[in-house]
Amino acid sequence: MIQLERISKIYGELPKQAIALKNVDLKIGKAEFIVVRGPSGSGKTTLLMSIGGMLQPSSGTVRINDKDIYLLSIVERSRFRALNIGFVFQMFHLIPYLSVLENIILSTRHIKYDDSNKKAYSLIEDLGLSDRINYKPSELSAGECQRVALGRALIHRPKIILADEPTGNLDPENSSIVMKTFSNYHQNGGTVIIVTHGEDADPFADRVIYLKKGEIK
Amino acid sequence: MLFKLIYKEILFRKLNFLLTFLAISLAVAFFVSFFTTNEASKRETIRLTRDMGFNLRIIPKETDMNNFWLKGYSEFYMPEEYVNRFWEFKNFSFAHLTATLHKTIIWNGKEVILTGIAPEIEPSGKKKTSMAFMIDTGMVYVGYEVAKLLNLEHGDTIKILDKNFVITKTLSETGSSDDIRIYGTLSEFQDLLLMEGLVNEIMALNCLCLSPDDDNYLKTIREQLTRVLPEAKVIMNTTIANAREKQRHMLEQYFAVITIFVIILIALWIGVLVMINVRERITEIGILNAMGHGWTEIVGLFLGKALLIGVLSAATGFILGTGLALKFGPDIFKITAGTIKPIYELLFWSLLVAPLFSTFLALIPTMIAIFKDPAVTLRKV
Ligand SMILES: Nc1ncnc2c1ncn2[C@@H]1O[C@H](COP(=O)(O)OP(=O)(O)O)[C@@H](O)[C@H]1O
Ligand SMILES: [Mg+2]
Repeated sequence: MIQLERISKIYGELPKQAIALKNVDLKIGKAEFIVVRGPSGSGKTTLLMSIGGMLQPSSGTVRINDKDIYLLSIVERSRFRALNIGFVFQMFHLIPYLSVLENIILSTRHIKYDDSNKKAYSLIEDLGLSDRINYKPSELSAGECQRVALGRALIHRPKIILADEPTGNLDPENSSIVMKTFSNYHQNGGTVIIVTHGEDADPFADRVIYLKKGEIK
Repeated sequence: MLFKLIYKEILFRKLNFLLTFLAISLAVAFFVSFFTTNEASKRETIRLTRDMGFNLRIIPKETDMNNFWLKGYSEFYMPEEYVNRFWEFKNFSFAHLTATLHKTIIWNGKEVILTGIAPEIEPSGKKKTSMAFMIDTGMVYVGYEVAKLLNLEHGDTIKILDKNFVITKTLSETGSSDDIRIYGTLSEFQDLLLMEGLVNEIMALNCLCLSPDDDNYLKTIREQLTRVLPEAKVIMNTTIANAREKQRHMLEQYFAVITIFVIILIALWIGVLVMINVRERITEIGILNAMGHGWTEIVGLFLGKALLIGVLSAATGFILGTGLALKFGPDIFKITAGTIKPIYELLFWSLLVAPLFSTFLALIPTMIAIFKDPAVTLRKV
């Protein structure tokens, strides 16, 4: 389903060049749960962004469902992301002036789900945010913020979830909510690729990938 | 949806919005109030010029200037049709044009000046009479001294050189040679004085778009005139109106300099505010992009906001500027602008220019932010 062929990513120009990824080959099947691990600066974020169509590799191809996503136009790639991919970040990146509900339904714009509001409410319920619907991010705890971000990533039923250290700023309780949510999504046929330092994702993982200096070990 | 996002963001970052809004409103108010008072000043200068007399006098070339200034008019004559030649010369701009005939006669034992006035010609070529006197055939206006001396009143019939005229107006005191004048129609006075088809002066109220500051002004007119009317020469009277016109031009120049400063200042002010706003929202741009929102939507979010602020502050600035001009203009511009009226055309221009200006200023930081790699902006912190 996801196929990376000899992906390399080099940041900057010589002599300050940083090689973030080095000839990475990777195949990820449908509905796989992948954990990516590695020391800081090993290229995990770069890998995730490349898979998500957010960062064009310096060389190599990224194919999703046999489609080379970097051959798509910028507009087509945006649309592709809107339909297929959900991102979750360590820093949540919620929109500060929108409420919980508005942050969650913001990503449904591109998709013609007539039930997006209904879906949003049931997600909010599942994520335990029912009494926070009209709160702004600044009025929420870190755990609640990340749950909102999960809602935002899941509402349009993407085929792939890309999560970059989603539990890095969370307490164990919230971390476990996040992991359970991913697991649920995975059991319903979703593909999860998650970058994490801890071992809390391991029980759900089909595979653990180790990155070191831009290479898979 | 876009509008809702813009609206919510504005409410969320009120200070940024208010400062931007304030800056543009004040700038618009500044320009609107200047143009409003300046327009009033222009109107009044024209009216004053009218009241003070014509500012260009075209007289026969052979006129002796000593005699001219002593008598107040030229002793020589030129054909009346020179007016048409002058008028046909399209390069020369004038507001009003009229031919006159002056002649001193002894009347009832006193020296008086007979002044015959032709109907005025407007630049369009239409005859028009609103500016000076509109005198009908068989009628005359008499100057203040003439009327006083002979106890003449409106409606009296007087006899001038064997012809009878009805006085339709006795003029109030002017403190000039006009007080010993009798005004009539040009054609009748030409008959009376046996000077058919002749005049000794063509008076033109010049277009005020030419600046009297320009030293070459008179020279240019003279050169132009020599080409159409080689038999005539031109003198320009510098009246209070000219002085005021000069003052107004000075104000305009001053304004032009201030304008540059205001625009630079406002551009910097708004530029900084937009930059702050965009920087604050760089992860917002990244996340919208990650969620698959096209860049047109994201640009729309920022430029839409700038446009909205532009429109709101243009309207506010217009009201504020007009209000200031109406309230304080007459006091501040005592000499140059007494009667000030709102100029609604300026609202149109404000609504056009202010949004363009603010959108343009928002464009650059927005574009820079959008072309920043979202992979970079969404990195940890
Ligand atoms: N925008 C960038 N410019 C230059 N170097 C970068 C940039 N982003 C990442 N790098 C470098 O690329 C390498 C991999 O970074 P990253 O993918 O963020 O690793 P990780 O997520 O594993 O910490 C690091 O050495 C980092 O310094
Ligand atoms: Mg990282």
